[in-house]
This record gives sequence, structure tokens and C-alpha cells, in this order.
Amino acid sequence: MSKLDSQDVPGRRITVTVNGVERRAWCADRTLLAHFVREQLALPGTHVGCMNGDCGACTVIVDGAIVKSCLQLAAAADGAEITTVEGLGEPGNLHPVQEAFWAEDGFQCGFCLPGHLLVALKLAEQQGDPSEEEIRAALAGNLCRCTGYQSIVAAVQRAIRQTEGT
Amino acid sequence: MDLMRPRAAATESDPPRRRDGELILSGRGDYLDDVRIPGLTYAAFVRSPHPHARVRGFRTAAAEAHSGVLRVLTGREAAERIGPIPHFFSPTNVGGKTTDFECLASTEVYYVGQPVAAVVATDPGDAEAAAELVEVDYDVLPPVLDAHQALQSGAPQAFSHWDDNLVVRVAFNEGDVAEAFESAPHVLRDRVKIQRYGTSPLEPRGYIAQWNPDGRLVVRASTQMPHPLRSALAAMFDLPETAVRVIAPRLGGAFGHKFHGYPEEGALCLLSRLVRAPVKWLERREDAMLVGAREMEHDLAIAFDDEGVILGLRDSIVCDVGALGTSAGWGMAFVAAMTFPGPYRVPAYDVESLVVVTNKAPWNGARGFGKESACLALERAVDLVAAELSLDAAEVRRRNFIPSTAFPYWTASKRLDSGDYQAVLDKALALGDYPELVERRRQARAAGRLAGVGIAFELTPEGGDFPGGLARGFDTSTVRMDPAGSVTVLTGVTSPGTGNETAIGQLVAAELGVSFDRVRVVQGDTDTTPYGFGNGSSRSLNLGGGAAVLAAREVRAKLVAAAAVALECDPGCIALDKDTVFREGGAQMPISDLARFVYTTSIAHPAVPYQHLEATCSYAPEQNLLHQPDSAGRTSSYPTFSNSAHVCAVEVDEHTGQVTLASYAAVDDCGVIVNPILVRGQLLGAIAMGIGGALWEEARFDDRGHPVATSFKNYLVPRSVDLPAIRVGHHTTPSPFTLLGTKGAGEGGVAGAVAAVCNAVNDAIAPLGARVSKMPLSAPNVLRAIREVTK
Ligand code: FES
Ligand code: FES
Repeated sequence: MSKLDSQDVPGRRITVTVNGVERRAWCADRTLLAHFVREQLALPGTHVGCMNGDCGACTVIVDGAIVKSCLQLAAAADGAEITTVEGLGEPGNLHPVQEAFWAEDGFQCGFCLPGHLLVALKLAEQQGDPSEEEIRAALAGNLCRCTGYQSIVAAVQRAIRQTEGT
Repeated sequence: MDLMRPRAAATESDPPRRRDGELILSGRGDYLDDVRIPGLTYAAFVRSPHPHARVRGFRTAAAEAHSGVLRVLTGREAAERIGPIPHFFSPTNVGGKTTDFECLASTEVYYVGQPVAAVVATDPGDAEAAAELVEVDYDVLPPVLDAHQALQSGAPQAFSHWDDNLVVRVAFNEGDVAEAFESAPHVLRDRVKIQRYGTSPLEPRGYIAQWNPDGRLVVRASTQMPHPLRSALAAMFDLPETAVRVIAPRLGGAFGHKFHGYPEEGALCLLSRLVRAPVKWLERREDAMLVGAREMEHDLAIAFDDEGVILGLRDSIVCDVGALGTSAGWGMAFVAAMTFPGPYRVPAYDVESLVVVTNKAPWNGARGFGKESACLALERAVDLVAAELSLDAAEVRRRNFIPSTAFPYWTASKRLDSGDYQAVLDKALALGDYPELVERRRQARAAGRLAGVGIAFELTPEGGDFPGGLARGFDTSTVRMDPAGSVTVLTGVTSPGTGNETAIGQLVAAELGVSFDRVRVVQGDTDTTPYGFGNGSSRSLNLGGGAAVLAAREVRAKLVAAAAVALECDPGCIALDKDTVFREGGAQMPISDLARFVYTTSIAHPAVPYQHLEATCSYAPEQNLLHQPDSAGRTSSYPTFSNSAHVCAVEVDEHTGQVTLASYAAVDDCGVIVNPILVRGQLLGAIAMGIGGALWEEARFDDRGHPVATSFKNYLVPRSVDLPAIRVGHHTTPSPFTLLGTKGAGEGGVAGAVAAVCNAVNDAIAPLGARVSKMPLSAPNVLRAIREVTK
């Protein structure tokens, strides 16, 4: 997005810690966090499915909270700690949550994954023992058009099991 | 016979997981929006605010003056530079009529949202803002928004240069229908209406068009059909196809939404040519929701005897296909009629589809492709019979199924390949705990609640072949082994996230005796893969996989011949397995050594074949396709027929009309299963889509022809909390007519889910004397049906 690079519109330089690395970048005041992450930080794993807060494909974690990045201005994240799906694990070294989704066939096209993986990560970190109903409720903000959610629920359950006691 | 079966069937117990999982799971999926191209510019479209109007003129000065704007293109100007959009499949191929459709409308608009002009700017925000500044003068014309109204004489014409609003009537019939109805002890009628709704893949469409310095057009497109899109673009720009390259990156779901034929496709290429830079456009969610499908109303009559045996069937289906357009959507009207009489033996039937244009956005393909509409009507009819005679709904189906011994079974429009419908239904009833559901229904009713159980059986014609257009029932794959023994498969079918690349890799690996990881599958690039017809109609594994198996067998034959030389034995003593070449009872060598042996020794050693270790094959299940009517006047444009049985339970809140889905089970027969993980995923996803369409999804318009559904806030797709755990199972009767015995998975499940949920809701409200046949079964629609009888 060329305008994000130029400084001829009102904007500012912000500092964020993304996936553990401190990054400083300029953003226009009107830039949404989703676009900032994708374009300025060059992390395209965060997807855009609606720009309305409805689908959850743009989910990131900001200061520990699940956030739909299409609903938040980038400037508001100044100083924040952000986790994107790229922060989980990479090819050859997947995070147990990612492994769980692969093992349970918890995705097809994969476009919805940012939301489902990061919600699963949060649930796994909480070290609780949520029921299927609670897991479905936790996933309610994230649409998937491919799987019918069943394998996603199974993946979350496996992710929780696999991170138990770690 | 067994030799013809895929070797991979043996690997079923331990199927590989989805290809590219590591990339997709770690945010490296490389979808269209992730492609980085220097010097990118951005397009936005100016869309008609009127359902029907004449375009008088454009004023573009304000838009042109907006910052960052590179070009404004009006429909007038575009019409001088680019031809009309070729049809995906023209209605004229089946005796209907059509008209020219432009990328940007120059003289008349037919629906709200139709592109009339476009803007390119250096920033997407500027492009959007400038598009708002383009002024278009319209003379508003009367719209027609309802198909029944459109069929009346004197109705407004959707296209002002047509004489009426009927595109085509297709009909299929068999037997003496008049006699069947006259002599039948019972006749029932119903009107069943399925609403307009699409598929809403999570990733909307997107394109990046660019012209290379050598004059070649390169288009990155989130399309299911790169080659046919290439053909269409070449025709529009009067270019040889060699001058056009279409690349489909990884898709974030498609379900028919990404079939080609959209006006933006050509418009973006033209814009890119004009600004001499790559132009990108991403469909917004509201744009995606414009795309219609399925809006059909059945006027249905069923004749039957005292035992519930169907004697005759009549259906007149009025299909509101919107403003027709050039996409595949209207074809659903054909398929809906063709699917009758489903899984049942019906001696006399007469089914027609009327394809009617209105001033709403055109349809595109949608998973189910009209089969869900047919299934809904048929399964409602069967339930009406059961209710009328106080028979069990499963029992009435039993009495009417085509018996497993009757295959292959001809109807007027298809030859059903194989099946055991009774066994599939029995398995589903067991899996769904049917007796238990019936008992729980009894208890709930005793407690004063509205509870219902629904059954449906779905017939899913797959792999359709439509001569006259580029929507064919064959496909082509290349298999090559390089000197290091790695294998590349290039195939004309594509995967929109369904996973057929995994299964195709599996099949080829099994044929060549190499490990799955050694095989790379390449799809979606017209410069690399053979010409193919992409993804749709559950065709990919059946046809692209079949072609890949044939090609792999040719390569295997060359390997075996060479191995016999290398290992000094008879070719019959050679086995290929586990990346190794074995000589019976003796020597062995790694497959990589054999590949190298072929590449380095041929000609020098006269017995070593010197063609590449490469083969290209096409495959069609042509034995079961019939386009020239036989002596009985029958034809068949689908070679194979998946099927499934569905059992579900609901509760309905009498005071709100709210439906809660309490349990769901389904069993399918998609023939031989190559990868059970993938097939299960397809079935679960299809069922979820069917449930969404049955209960919530609806692309409504207001009475002025404006779309009301513009976001997921007013177009409700199922969320995790809306669905119960779904139990699925399989029953396999191999297709005798396909190479692999497969029938096709992916589409199956949508139709049965729509019908089963509808039957369950009707069962729930039956004690009130209420009936609802107008979909979706949203709370307001169900409540209306209840109020009609209880007020
Ligand atoms: S893109 Fe943010 S919720 Fe859909
Ligand atoms: S996997 Fe495609 S949307 Fe979830």
C-alpha cells in the first residue's frame, strides 16, 4: 500500500514488539492494524476476510488479548506486544498448537487459521479443561467456511492435551 | 479387474495429511493478497445504484482530479477497446437465448452493483474515494425483481431489448404422467421455495493483472479455472492464448464462487494495459455477497398408492437467475431438473426448469449446483407421502429406492452407475440413532415441546460433461520423473483448499512405488500445466487423478523396461516399491539410480527406452457419458453418482420460531476413497454449508431491488456454536465406470443437509398443523408458518 510508505498524510512512527522482536515503523493515522501487520511488518499470515470484525481471519493477540486487527487502528498499538500466526512456529519447527491442527485436519483452505490457531493458543495456555461447548463458544468469533468446525474443535482439544503440564 | 483399481487404495489405513500444511499453518500460504509485485496500482469499481437503467453519460473530471488517480475508465470507453465476455456455458448451447455482457456497462445496467466504470490509483483508498466521485447519468427503467412476475405478459423486461424474460425451458420426462396421476389413489401438491444464497468463501476474489514488456498478459487470479479464464481473456482482447498466462495462487476456499465469467476479470486487464502497470483488485465482502445462486420455486405434485409407492411426479421449477451474466450459475437450473427423480424409481415423471431473468446480480456456481434444490423438493414430497399415509419416513424411502441390483439404472437424463441406497440409509439411521431420536421426540412432545426428526437422501451427479463450452468432463495430467528420481505431476485440475493435490500425489506415489514426499503436484498455472477445466463438480480427483494415474502407469512401464535391463531380468520380475526397484528374489537398486540409468544410458544401450520419463494422459469416464440420444431418447451428461443419507433432530421454539439443531449424522457413498481424511473433511464442510443454507443464509433484496445482505452481520453463516457435533460415515460401492472407482467427494452433503433439516423442522411443527416450505427456516419464516395455523 503505497501511501503507507509515504509520509504525505498524517501519521506517526510507532514501536511494537511483534512475535518477540521490537519493530519500529511509520503508519498513517488511518491505517488499520490488519494492514499495518500485513504490509508494513510484511507478515501476510494475518488475513482479511471482511474488514467488518465479523470473520476473525485477521485475528492477532495484542497485549495478551485476542483482537480483530481490522477493527483497530495501528496507531493505537504503539508500545504493544503483538503475536501473529507467524509467531507460533515455522516449517520444520511447528508449535504444538499448529501440529494439533495438522494432525486433526483442523483446516482446509487455511484462510481462517489465524483466528482459530490464536484462540487455541490462548485456551492451551490457560491450562484449563474446557468442555466442547466452551471451546465452541471461544471460537464463536471466527468463521470457517470449509470445515464445519468439527475438526477445529478436535484440534483445539488436542492442542490443549498436548500442552498440558508444559 | 483388481489391477485397474488404484494402488493407493492399499494405503487407506495410513493416509498422508494435507500437503503444504507447514506453510499454511505458519502463515506462509501465499494467497493472492500476499503476492508482492513492485509498482502495483489499485482499482476500484463504480457500480450501478439502480436495478435497471439506461446509462446516459459519465462525468469523470472530479475523479480524475483526485490525488493518486492514474486513470478513469467508463463503460463507453471500455466498449471500444474490449469485446464482450464469453460465456462459461452459453444458454444457446441448450436452445436458449442470451445477450452480450460487457465488462463495464456502456448503455444499460441490469442490476444493482453492476460495474459501469473503474478507477486506478496508486493507493487503494484513493481508488475507492475517486470511484465515489465518478458521476453517471441514468434514465431509470422499471425493474423486474420476481421470477413469477417476470413470466407474466406485460411484465417489465429485465433486458429492454428482449421480448420476454425467459432464457430457456429445459424438461425431462419419462412414462405416461397423465395416466399415472389419473389412476393414482393419492395425489399431493406442494410449493417448495429455496432462497437465493451463495457460498461466501472466507477469502473473497482477487486479481492482479499485468502486461509484460513482451506484450504478454499475466493475470494472477483467485480462480478455480485458470485455463478457461485464459481462453475467455484471449477472446476478449483478441489475443492468441499463448499471449495470456493465468496463475491461480492458493485459494482461501471457492465452492463455485471462483468460477470465471466475472466482469472485473476483463476490466482489470484493460485497466492494466491503459496505465502500463500491474493493477490489483480485491473483492469486498459486500461485492462477494452480490453473487447469487439457487433461487428456485418448485410447483410439485406427487402421485402414489396406498403403500406409499410413488407412481408419478410433476415439477415445474421457476429459477430466478438474476441478470444471467456470463458465469456458470444459470446452469444450476438445468442440473436441478436433470437430478430428478433422484434415488427413486419413478415410472412416470415430468420435470421442467424455467430459467428466468430478473434485475438482480447474476448467479455463479455454488456447491450443490441445483442438486440441493432437487433434493429438497423430492425429499419434501416423500415426507408428505409418509405423513399422509402415517408411514415411517425411512420406510417410504425404502419402498421407493432404486434397488442395488438394478444398476446401472437409466433415467431420461442419466445412467446411475452404482449404489446401495438402502444400505447407506440403514447405516445413517444406525449412526444417527434413529430409534433413540424417535423416542426422544416422543418424550419432548409429551412435555409440550416441538421436536422433530428429519431424514433425507441425496443423489449427487458428479463430474459433469457439457460439450459446446469449456466445462468438460475430462482432464489431463503430466507425470515426470527427473534424473534424481523425484516426481512432478502437472495437472489441469485445481484445488481451492479441498486437498485433491494431496490425494493425487498419493495416487502417483503408489503407482510408481515412491514415497509420497518425493512427488510434487503443480496446479493452477497455464504456462506449466496441461489445459484443464479446473475445479468443480467434484471432478478433480476423479478426472485429474485418473489422468495422473494413467500417466504414472506409462512412466512406470518405461521404468520397468529399463529396470529389466539394469537388473538383467525379465520385466515381469521387476517390482517398484518404497523408492526401490526390486528384482524378484534378488538384486535391488534405489529408484533414483534407475532414473539416472535411464537418462544417462538410453540410446547407448539399445534396450533402454530413450523417451523422457514423462507421460501426459487425458481421462474421461466416457463409457458412462452419452450426448447423442439413444434409441429411447436418453442422454447422460454426468458419469457418476455419489449419494448420501442424512438423519437429524431439531427442536423449535413455538414462541420465537427459533430452530435448534440437536443432532446430525450422515453416511455417504462416494465410491472408492483414496484419502479418508480429505473425504471426511469435505463431507463435514458440505453438511455445515447445507445446514447454513437451511436455517440462516439468505441474500435478500428490498422491494426496490437493492441487496440487503451486505456483510456477515445480515447474512448469517453458521458459527461454531450454531452446529452440533456431526457424525459421518461411509459406505463404498465403487463406480464401475471410473478408472479409480471413485465417484467424487466435495459437493455431496449440501443437498441432504438442506433437505434433512427442512424435514425435521416440518416434523417438529406438524403437531400444530403447520408446514413450512419456504427456505430458509429462519426464526421469522418458521414463526410465520406457526402463526398461520395457531392465531
Ligand atoms: S477481516 Fe477482521 S474480522 Fe474479518
Ligand atoms: S479452512 Fe477454509 S475457511 Fe476455514
